[in-house]
Amino acid sequence: MPVVELNLNRIKKLVSSNVTKKKIIETLPFLGLDIESQDGDQIRIEYSPNRPDYSTDFGIALGLQGLLGIKKGIQKTNIRKQGKFEINVDSSLSKIRPFVTGIIAKNGTIDDQSIKQLMNMQEDLHFGIGRKRKKSSIGLHDFDKISFPLTYTTATRAHSFVPLNSESKSTIENILSDTEVGKNYGSVLGDTKLVPIIVDAEGKTISFPPIINSAATTVTTKTKNLLVEVTSMDKDAAEDMLSVVVAILQMAGFEIIQLAVTGNKNSTPKLNSKTIQYDIRLTEQILGLSISPSTMVSSLKKCRLDAMQKGKKIQCIIPRYRFDIFGSMDIVEEIALGYGIENLEPKLSPSQTLGKKSLSTTKLEIISKTAVGLGFTEALNSSLTSKRILYDFTNRDSSTMISVLDSKSQEHTILRDSILPGLVENLSKNIHESYPQKLFETGTVFLKAKPINETINFAGVIAYKESNYSEMKSILQSILKTGFKVDSKTKTPRNDHPIFANGRHSDVFVDEENIGKIGEINSDILDNFKIRTSVVGFEIKLSGLIFD
Amino acid sequence: MSQVFHYIEKKIIESLQKKSNQTPEQLSEYTELSIDQIRRGIEWLRLKELAKVSESSKVTISLGKNGIDAFKNGFPERKLIELIKDEPKSFDEVRKELSGTGFNAAIANAKKNGWIKIDKNDSGAKISIKEKPIQTPEEKLISVIGEKSISEDQIENKLALKFLLQRPNYIIQSTEKSKTISLTEKALQIDSTAPDSGAIDVEADVPQVFVSRTHPLKDTIDEIREIFVKLGFSEIQGKLAQSSFWNFDALFTPQDHPARELQDTFYLENLKSEKPANPKQIKQVSTSHSQNWRYNWQLSESQKMVLRTHTTCVTIKYLAENKPDESRVFSLGRVFRNEKVSYKHLVEFNQIEGIVIGNNTTLRDLMGIQKEFYKQLGLTKIKFWPTFFPYTEPSLQTMVFNEKLGKWIELFGMGIFRPEVTKPLGISKPVLAWGGGIERIAMLKYDQDDVREFYNNNLNWLRTV
Repeated sequence: MPVVELNLNRIKKLVSSNVTKKKIIETLPFLGLDIESQDGDQIRIEYSPNRPDYSTDFGIALGLQGLLGIKKGIQKTNIRKQGKFEINVDSSLSKIRPFVTGIIAKNGTIDDQSIKQLMNMQEDLHFGIGRKRKKSSIGLHDFDKISFPLTYTTATRAHSFVPLNSESKSTIENILSDTEVGKNYGSVLGDTKLVPIIVDAEGKTISFPPIINSAATTVTTKTKNLLVEVTSMDKDAAEDMLSVVVAILQMAGFEIIQLAVTGNKNSTPKLNSKTIQYDIRLTEQILGLSISPSTMVSSLKKCRLDAMQKGKKIQCIIPRYRFDIFGSMDIVEEIALGYGIENLEPKLSPSQTLGKKSLSTTKLEIISKTAVGLGFTEALNSSLTSKRILYDFTNRDSSTMISVLDSKSQEHTILRDSILPGLVENLSKNIHESYPQKLFETGTVFLKAKPINETINFAGVIAYKESNYSEMKSILQSILKTGFKVDSKTKTPRNDHPIFANGRHSDVFVDEENIGKIGEINSDILDNFKIRTSVVGFEIKLSGLIFD
Repeated sequence: MSQVFHYIEKKIIESLQKKSNQTPEQLSEYTELSIDQIRRGIEWLRLKELAKVSESSKVTISLGKNGIDAFKNGFPERKLIELIKDEPKSFDEVRKELSGTGFNAAIANAKKNGWIKIDKNDSGAKISIKEKPIQTPEEKLISVIGEKSISEDQIENKLALKFLLQRPNYIIQSTEKSKTISLTEKALQIDSTAPDSGAIDVEADVPQVFVSRTHPLKDTIDEIREIFVKLGFSEIQGKLAQSSFWNFDALFTPQDHPARELQDTFYLENLKSEKPANPKQIKQVSTSHSQNWRYNWQLSESQKMVLRTHTTCVTIKYLAENKPDESRVFSLGRVFRNEKVSYKHLVEFNQIEGIVIGNNTTLRDLMGIQKEFYKQLGLTKIKFWPTFFPYTEPSLQTMVFNEKLGKWIELFGMGIFRPEVTKPLGISKPVLAWGGGIERIAMLKYDQDDVREFYNNNLNWLRTV
């Protein structure tokens, strides 16, 4: 979950001077925001990835005003036409990054805190709806450093300009190979000869999307007017992103001025709201709440939407930046939020159905009881384990092992095809505990098939000086009889397997079917695990034996 | 009530009552207990003030090299007497015969005893017997000692011993420390044949044994499963390795969504599901993605095999296959996240998820089920907060107040499946879903602040928790 840091005094100023900090803290969770930590007036807030408008205190203040009833309904998107600001798109971008959109924001004040908030918004938009800049990316510029009209065009990788946070010119090539952003996001561009750039009327490069802006248009606390540009692979995605920025900058006190976009299937953004016809019966059907349509309307307005009743329907107006709202079910949630989750009484209706555990659960419970009765303690190991334990230390055949890609943990890279190696490893971690030690485990093992065969196995180990094959065979016999009710003929023909000592191992057959193995663990393997006592173990397959 | 003794203590008391002042070795011999048992028993009795241990040192005497020669062949002075008993002899003659056996000692001692006289004339000095020699105390002592070792206390003629000690290599003296055990007054009164002498010392320490047990986390899992069953839910099961289709696509997670990336999800190397779902399901899910998320949906992406990141893939598959009108089912089991392991994150943990379809399926009913669930777990202070899950709308999370930590803790989540999830799979009724991770609850229950402990299989913990 993404996180944003807020200052309570600042947010109070944005919401209303009449509201207390305590009230703000109490209300935040009901916007779906989790307070991760608080240090005096600084609070860290986790917000949902579907609400990029909550990536700044401006967006959160907008939400709080609604829920607290200070300002309700839509914050109207007001894009004014003033002057002539244009960006023209070159056809060479068609197969590279075809779309651009943007706006101009004037007469705002930007302090350090605001810059921090806007940077957080930018990061969030890049990661989420921008799909790590691949789908869309955003650039903020000091408007007064730019001469219009702009051109969105392409350049070769030899093209050079002074990138953000730098004092000297670099080529595109060098930016991609030497800077952190270049290394992180260069792959988004693939290996095309040409890359996208935005140049101004004087031929000055102001941006190299989606990688970096130029130093010339850096936003500082002295900046009064902003240019926002969004480049994208998808026109709607670009306008979605822009709509969030517009909502936030408007809340931050800027006037929004239109940037005309022309050329190559591009057009000037309108950021229109959408309308959803909501069936008022859904409120009772889904929430179990009998409230009047007018309460529904006012609840929706508290969520900064517009709504009006039209017969059995409510006509809902959704601002563009709320693209998390797809249809009526989303409106139901907005009604619940506006009405107040704390006002929803839980209701326990009797169940129409009888509950039942699955057959395998019931059988596994019997096995656990039987194993505990025989003096075994239950172990639990991950099914995702390491090659070292599963194959290297136990001399087992690794030719059909199943690996996961790019695990962040060295100890979890291979899916287990057997439980026994894990139990032997458990013994190695307990060499300082008193003996005898008896462990068992039941769990899923994975075998390569088309694509994978999962079965439930049952394994046990006994470790102490005198442990031996016969002791374990007695135990297994008893489990088969008591735990499994297997009365049919069981056989233990001798076999060889690298994990077991020579001559101290057999397969286990029930009704002519091989269900597993039993034997004394080979002393070389015990050495690998630094175990200094004797160990005997078994593993049998339960799937197919006592359940399917 | 008479005092109760261990059988080792009893045997020692009995033996000492018959014969006091025994060494541990002697006690071991008489009682037929091992020397270690005797030592332990003595220590117990000493602590109970029933036995006294006196340490003494004992000097033992045996013959040295010259002593043995004297015992076998007589003292040098006795040999001298034998040589001259028939006629006087010169110094040279005697020296020749007595060479190596202490000629000087022989002359000196025989003279001191007054056995010989020495006459000097022109042809030299002659040694002759002055008086018929009788057995000396030293000779008597040597014959008593012989080839044995005897205690110094047993020697009566201390003077003879003193003389012998002055002569080189006659006597070897060695000192040995030893313990002698005797009973105190109190112990002498003990009747070890008393009727309750079969009783044991019930207050004594005993060796530790450990119960065998099911795993604590498994116990929590079972407890939670039982509550689900009590609430009318039946268990369904599914595979841990799933196609991306059921883990993501069927749940409306777009194919380019960051949650699907390698860094959050375990993809299985070189494994794919040829037919992850039936053609109709694939077509409708693909259409829902293309329309709602505006991108080009790829079958190949949905065929990739993953370790399930939630149990929801099991419930949604069940719904798509059975399309029940009325149902309460749950799935429980391991889920996987490609995360760095820490005290609060595991790559593999347990999740439970229940769904409700049918009548009385409003959000308030779902909240009611939650409340009852926590009540069964003994958690009564709960509240609900809105939250976000990609495939439910509306979505809530439960917050439970933990008295010990003094704060609200997030536990299970719940919500109603989005129509974008259910419609393409042919499910028309609202589906309520709820569930969450089980380790979190187990951590509260066992007061455990490191989630890894549940998978360490540390016997010290398992045997005592």
